[in-house]
Order: sequence, then C-alpha cells, then structure tokens
Amino acid sequence: MRIWKKKWSTPVLVYLTAALLMAYASFRLPHLLPGDFVTAMYAGSDVTLNAEQEAELRAFYQNTDGFQGYLRNLATLDWGYSHAFMAPVSQLFLQALPWTLLLMGTAHVLSTLLGFVLGVEAAWRRGSLLEKAGVGIMTVLEGIPEICSGVLLLLVFALSFGWFPAAGAQMAYADHTFGQWLADVVHHLTLPLATLILAYLPGNFLLARAGMVMVLESWFVLTARAKGLPPVRVRYAHAARNALLPMVTRFGLRFAFMITGALVVETIFSYPGLGTLLFNAIAMRDLPLVQGIVLFSSIMVLVVNLGMEYVYHLLDPRVGHAS
Amino acid sequence: MTIQIKDLTISYQDHDHALLALDRLDLALHPGKITALVGESGSGKTTLGKAVMGLLPENARTKGSISLDGTQILGLDEPAMNQLRWSQVAMVFQNGAASLNPVHSLADQVAEPLIQKGTARKKAMAAARDLLGRMGIDADQAGRYPHELSGGQVQRGLLAMSLILDPPVLLLDEPTAALDAMTKVFISRVIQDLRNAGKTILLITHDLDLARNLADAIAVLYLGRIMEYLPGTDLVDRPCHPYTLALVRAFPFMDGMRDLGGIRGDAFYRMVHAHARENGRTHEHVHVAAPDAVHQGGHAPPRGCLFQPRCTQAVVECSFGDIGFTASDTHQVRCIRGGIARILSFEKVAKSFGKVKALAPTDLTLMAGEVFCLVGETGSGKTTLASIAAGAVAPDQGRRIFQDRDMDTWMKTDFASLAPKIGMIYQNPAESVSHRFTVFDIVAEPLRIQKQETDPEKMRARVLAALADVRLSTAPEFLKRYSHELNMGAIQRVCIARALVHAPDLLIADEPTSSLDPSVQAKVLKMLLGLQIEKGLTMLFVTHDIGLARKVADRIGVMAEGTIIETGPAATIINYPEQACTKMLINSARGSGHPDPGIHSRL
Repeated sequence: MRIWKKKWSTPVLVYLTAALLMAYASFRLPHLLPGDFVTAMYAGSDVTLNAEQEAELRAFYQNTDGFQGYLRNLATLDWGYSHAFMAPVSQLFLQALPWTLLLMGTAHVLSTLLGFVLGVEAAWRRGSLLEKAGVGIMTVLEGIPEICSGVLLLLVFALSFGWFPAAGAQMAYADHTFGQWLADVVHHLTLPLATLILAYLPGNFLLARAGMVMVLESWFVLTARAKGLPPVRVRYAHAARNALLPMVTRFGLRFAFMITGALVVETIFSYPGLGTLLFNAIAMRDLPLVQGIVLFSSIMVLVVNLGMEYVYHLLDPRVGHAS
Repeated sequence: MTIQIKDLTISYQDHDHALLALDRLDLALHPGKITALVGESGSGKTTLGKAVMGLLPENARTKGSISLDGTQILGLDEPAMNQLRWSQVAMVFQNGAASLNPVHSLADQVAEPLIQKGTARKKAMAAARDLLGRMGIDADQAGRYPHELSGGQVQRGLLAMSLILDPPVLLLDEPTAALDAMTKVFISRVIQDLRNAGKTILLITHDLDLARNLADAIAVLYLGRIMEYLPGTDLVDRPCHPYTLALVRAFPFMDGMRDLGGIRGDAFYRMVHAHARENGRTHEHVHVAAPDAVHQGGHAPPRGCLFQPRCTQAVVECSFGDIGFTASDTHQVRCIRGGIARILSFEKVAKSFGKVKALAPTDLTLMAGEVFCLVGETGSGKTTLASIAAGAVAPDQGRRIFQDRDMDTWMKTDFASLAPKIGMIYQNPAESVSHRFTVFDIVAEPLRIQKQETDPEKMRARVLAALADVRLSTAPEFLKRYSHELNMGAIQRVCIARALVHAPDLLIADEPTSSLDPSVQAKVLKMLLGLQIEKGLTMLFVTHDIGLARKVADRIGVMAEGTIIETGPAATIINYPEQACTKMLINSARGSGHPDPGIHSRL
C-alpha cells in the first residue's frame, strides 16, 4: 500500500523541531520574568522556604548546565522539586498521569465510538421518529456544559442516593484483591466518566450524523447499494468510512487538550489526575509543577498532531495530495 | 435473461406535488440485444435504470411492473432485491469518478462483490485484476485510488466492476459521457462484445452517435413518455417523430453537415397534483411546469401530445386526448399525424414556358420542420419549382399536395386560407420591394393583402415583432425609410420579415443570400436558420451553391435538366454522391476539375 507521497520521516523532523523550540521556550521563560520570581513564587501561598531550599531552587533555575543540561534533566525526569507538595515534580506527575489517561482515554474512546455508531445509524434512518428524537436530545445535551452536568450528577448519584463515591479514584488503604480493586476503580470512575461522555457524546453524534448525511447523498453510496452488498457494509465500509475524517480530527484535538479538558471534571470529583494537580499547583503558585505539566501538555499536542498526520493518510488516500 | 417493463409510472413525491418522471413506459430488453434509451436530460432515463436496480429514493411512487424472466421485481423487498443486484442486473452509473468510493482502491472496489459473495480475497483480487487488465488497466493502475485515475480509466474500471459477477443484464448509464474519442471507441467495442456474448443490455445515453452505432433498438424518451421506438440504423436517416428529428439535428455527428440546431422551447418537468375539491374528494391530475414555476391554481390538466408546444407540425388535434402509437413496419411513433408529416408533395409536376421545358415531371416531398435545399446549375429549373411550390406559378400537369390537401383545389376554393401558410423570399431583395414603399409598408403588405389584420394597432405590433425577429430597428424613423436608403443586408432582412409577418408554415427562399457579401450572408443565414428552429418552419431553400447548401440543409435535392436527379440527407449527398452531375457540382465547389470527362465535353 502506498500511503505517503513524501518521505515518512519528514513530518517527524518538523514536529521534533517544534518540540525543541517549545522546550527552549520553557527553558528561557523563567529567566525572562521580571523581578525575583523565586521569591514571588510562593509569596501568596502558605509555603515557606528555608534558606537552603531557596538556594537550591535558585540553583535549579540558574540552569548552569545550559539548554543541553536542561534537556538532559527533562529526559531523566529530573523536573525539579515541588515545595508545595513536598515531592519531586516527576513523582507527582507520574502518580497523576495514569488516572487522567484512564479517565480521559476511556471518555474519548467511548464517546467517539458511541457517537460515531449512533450518528451513522441515525443518518441511515434519516427522517424516522427515532432519528428526529435522537437529534433533538443530543442538541439539548450539547448545550449543557460539563461543569453543570458534573455537579448535578455528583448531587444526585453521590450525595443524594449515595450510589457512587463523591471523590477519589480508589478507596485509600483498602486491602483489596485485584478483582475488588478493579471494581472499586470502576466504581470511582463512573460519575466523572459519565459527565465527560455526556459532554463529548452529543458533539460526536451530531458531527457523525451530519457527515454521514452528506456522504449518503453521494453517487458511490448508490453504487455500493447497487452492488448488492450487505447493508452493514454499505453503511460502514463505504459511507461511514468517508464521514470518519472530521471525527478523527475532533478526537485528536480533544485528546491533545486532555489536561485542560480534565481540569473541570477532575476538580468536581476530586479525581487525582493531572487536572486536579494542575489546579492545585496553580492555587499554590507551585511554578515547577505548573511548568512540568504545561510542557507535557504542549508536547502532547505535538505528538497527537503528528499521529494524526499518519492516521489521515491511512484513512483517506486523497490527503497526501492536498499538502 | 429478458426484462419486461410494462406500464411503468414513477413519480417523485414532494409535499402535495409529485414530479412525474416516467409515464406508462413499456420496454422490453432481450438477450444479445442492445436497447438504447435516448432523450434530453430530465426525460427520466436515469430513473428507469434506478427503478430496475430497485434503488429509487424513498419519495418515489411506482405503478406498473418490471419483470425479470417473468418474475416481478418492482416492489420486491430489500433482502430479495439485494440478492438480484449485481449478480443478475449490474449497472454502470453515470458521473464517472463520483461513482467510485474515494477511499478504496479501484481493484478493491471491483473485487468487493465477489468477496462478499464468499470468494476468497486473494482469488477475488486476482479475478478483479484480470478483468481490469482486459479493460486495459494494468496491475499498477488497478491498485490506485479513484482520484489518481483519468476519466477514461475510471470508466473502464466502472465497466469492469459491473462485469465482476458476470451478470446477464447490464444497464449502462452514459458509459461514454465526457470521454475522448479513442476511449469511446474502446468502450463501445467492449459493449459490442458483451452483446455478442448474449448479455441483455440497456444503454442509457444522450450520445446519439453511440446509440446509432451500438443499439439494435432505440426508444426515444421525452418527459417520461416514449415518443418513438425505432431500429438503431434508422436514427439518423429515418427518424419518424419530430422530436427524434430534432434530437438528431441537435447532435454534433461527425458526418453532420448542417450547423447544429437546437430544439425550440424548453422541456418542462411534469407535475402531478392533488387538489381538494369542494366535496372533499381529491382530484389528481398532471400538468407541465417549468422547473422554477410556482404552482398556481386554476390551470387545466394537459391533454394531448407532450411535445406539441415544441413541435414543428402541431395541429389543433394535437392538444386533445391521449396520443397512442402509430405503428409502421419497424417504427412506432407516438404522433397523431403518424410521425413527421409531409407538408408539401409534388407528383409528376411539370411546367413549360412556350417551347421551353422548364420543369420535367418531378416528384418532391417536403417533411414538416426540415430544411430542404434545391441545388443545381442556373437553368436547371430550381426557380420554376420553387415558384410552383409557392403557388405563384400553376403547373401544366401533376398534383401538388400541401398539408394533405390538393393545392390547386384549395387555391380555387379558399385561397385566403392557403396564402398565409406560405412565405416567400426572393432572389433579388432590391427588386422584390417597391421603391415607393416605406419599411413599414413593405412588411405590412401581406397582412393588408390577406386582410389578416384590420386593427391598425395590432398590425403595427405584428410588423414591429417581425422586424424585431430579423434584428432590425423598430424605431419610428426606421419604419419611415425607403428601400433605397437601406443597404443590401438590411433590405434582405426586411424581405425576410415580410415573408414571416403572417406566420407561415412553409418558407420558400430562392437564393436569399446570393446578392450579399459573405460576411452579411453569414449573418443573415444564421438569423434565418435561427428563426427556422424557433418558429418551427419548414424551409425550401434554393441555391446554386452546394457549399452553402451543406451548411443549411437537412436534405438536399440536386436538380439538373429540369428535374430532381438525386435526393438524400445532406451528409450522404456530399460524401457519397451517386450522380455524375452531383459529383461535378461538389468538385466544382471544391475548386477542382470535373471528374467525368463526358460531362466536361458536353459543356
């Protein structure tokens, strides 16, 4: 299969350059801040540093090793020490990352798959009562922000009925078997996940349906039907396949902005992910932590975008010609 | 496998309106035969293909039957229909690359039906590549995506795709549209081979050249009704319905001589409406509406012939009843006049002026709506014949029949009703108008003589309309001009306006442009032929210039020594002249010598 018109490595080099530029910006920025930012950093919060800690922090930001040393530090996970949380930044980060990946990854994958299938089936049944009802409900849901639906779910299912826990990702200090642990994690995950799916599903559904409705008008769908193919194949291999591109774009964009996306829901449900961590770090003015998370977030955007370039090529052979 | 389509009516519902796409259509498709369905866009050609495939949109309403070897397939449920699709009936859709899925490679799409029917992928792909190879697409091209293929490759690919399950019935919708001539030839060879292999083929096309080369039988569709069934070979040489003739005339055949002529007027969609009556019952009827027409109540349901508003030979009776077929040996024509009518025919008409035998006994037939050119040397009797046709000169012997009535009797009993039906343009425009007449008087003269118009206002309106038709000024100052104030081109235009002011059916033009310089001649001729199409005139065009005749005529009659020696379609006469005299005329016109030394010595 010929997928890439140009050499496959070209996009990788471009994105690598962008990543380096970004890392350099994060390396330079603290130096460019006016005034004594180490003093300013914890000035408004409850953290007090002793002279030794302050000297160490200053040394860390002096970057006597230069950019090369900075990169080496990044690669060896030596991202500095968070005095607000009294732990190394990388440790805090790595503790929070799996929960965010679990929550956001599941939410994105589920809402995209579900939204796509529902949208495709709705478009196929265009004009039926089911489809009209579906579009109506999804349009209303699309208008409700997750900050609203999240609080409602929390109030009703956690606080009022008590069916689900109101905070955390797992029960602390419990002596669980693996099965019990897994059930516990799912139990904790349910409400934040439901909030996110409620927030992401309607958009995916409407996007998939609109794309599909357009594609269904095309001549090649008529050809596919004329070929006597099973209806499911006509729907997915021929029609839906051509409505997939906007869905993938949306998935990529959402995934790239995973951390900011997680901020609200993780905060509402006190879920110990990167969103909560970032929120707390900002509240504490814990610059090393904020810096680490933001740098990771921006690298994430690049990685996802790079991945998309290849996925586009795989999905639509015409893409190579456009660029 | 035989397909029988009987009494098929299809309309597309749109609120309380319905667009009638096919109206009581009968068509039989037989194995080893190519049946072509021709007609303008919007005539319902593609709807028929979709109906056979069971792919009509949801708002389509159907009546009648489509049967496949006796089994009714119209209205079959989806799973049953899906069994037939592609394995029994396959279709090549129009629109080329748009009919292919952009995200699958050509070979994948060709192999797909085979794979879905249970063939192993590897085997199916090999079969697809083999079939594509036979269509002239090599393995490398077969793996490409539709956007990487040329229009010709796409069309070959679509044809290969339709053949992958080796279906007995093929529906080809515009298989050669937008293709270059070479690919077109390749595709038509493939179609011929398929016919010889015993496939039942429906060829839906507006490419009349393809239809006449391939089709065993042709059905001509107009606004969803079949106007004529005819053998493929007769399409160009013997169309019987005025609509078929008009289509042929509009088509750029390679061997066509005459400049392209459109069909006058526009085709309209037909709407079926349901109106609530006072007693609560709805009443459904069909009416013709322009595509952008807004429905307004109070219209009458259309009756009679659909083509009548655009027809060149419509008579009052055309507007009534439901027109059936008139069958001849090989044609079936939906026309109450039995097809293209004779407007004028001569039987053994002869004329002498004293001792000079101007016209030997001559037969001549003019069909409604055609341009018939009389060519020949001076003194061959052209003008005499034209004058007899115009009723200006009485023949010594023979019969003249004009619009199915004996012309001599008609002239004697009721000349007033005959005179307006014939218009005449004379050889020398300057001499054919009185220098005492103003432009207005010249054009108004026929109306005054025939007492057609007594109201001066209406007369003025008709004169102005006639002048506008020939692109002359209608300013009051111009109307007061005398002929000597005008140039030759303008005088000839005035003469044409005079010939058309009383709305004749037959226009006789005797060397209308021989006194004009070529540039003016070109303009006047273009305008004259435009008027002929627009007003649906029949024209008898007399000229000594065969080069001119071939640009003007549908048919040419060659005159020599007082009679017509050869008649035929313009292309035939020019390309395959039979008579020595015709050859001489053509060669002289080409500037070379006479091919026949016999004629040479006789001169």
